[in-house]
Amino acid sequence: MKIEIERKAGITVVRLVGEMNSGTVDLVQEKLLELVEPGCKIALEMSGVTYISSMGLRTLLLLYREISQQDGHIVLCGLTEMVYDTMFITGFLEFFETYETCGEGRSALAEI
Amino acid sequence: MKTLRLPGRVGSLAAIGDYIIQAAAKARLDEQAAYGLRLAVDEIATNAIVHGYQKIGQIGELVLRAEQTVTTLIVVLEDTSPPYDPRQTPPPDFGDQELGERPSGGLGIYLARQGVDAYRYDCIGGTNRHTFMMNRTQ
Repeated sequence: MKIEIERKAGITVVRLVGEMNSGTVDLVQEKLLELVEPGCKIALEMSGVTYISSMGLRTLLLLYREISQQDGHIVLCGLTEMVYDTMFITGFLEFFETYETCGEGRSALAEI
Repeated sequence: MKTLRLPGRVGSLAAIGDYIIQAAAKARLDEQAAYGLRLAVDEIATNAIVHGYQKIGQIGELVLRAEQTVTTLIVVLEDTSPPYDPRQTPPPDFGDQELGERPSGGLGIYLARQGVDAYRYDCIGGTNRHTFMMNRTQ
């Protein structure tokens, strides 16, 4: 799993490339939780995420909780079809804002 | 395919994923079916490791085999962790609860059941046997 972090104009863009499975979630969780601070704005660019298991979903759930508690915002960008389906059937998409491209996600966060 | 025997630890899950991807390719499952099957086996195996073997402090074995017929791909996963029938786990409650307040249990089992065309559980002489079936579209 490759994790790239870029901070620009008050928005943190995190690019994930690889699989969010039992072997990678600990690293992803550690890196993502480090970024959470009061009022943070995080765009998770997931077009390179080819697989997500329930362990990956739990990491997103944890991140969502932390960010909500600190009055921050998160958007998910570029979900692949399979990842989108998994998040849809588990009800996660009712809570996460999703955008097709990272640019759209950034713009949405900039307007908050 | 040749039977795969692995230690019941998280580190074995990658090899299980590879085995399923290979079996799905041989059976010519489409991308979505292959993904669903891999997810299902991954979730049930994870469960056996984390809630089965780890809870009793053992590294048991996971045994995986795949067989195909003209119409079906059948994958069988066996473990000897304490008997557990995933069909008894209710689906997670997706009611009105905010995501942040939801319990996260039951998700993996739910995904596993959703990902395959048919699923069967048997407990045979202390062995948990999980059977996953996928229809092969011609």
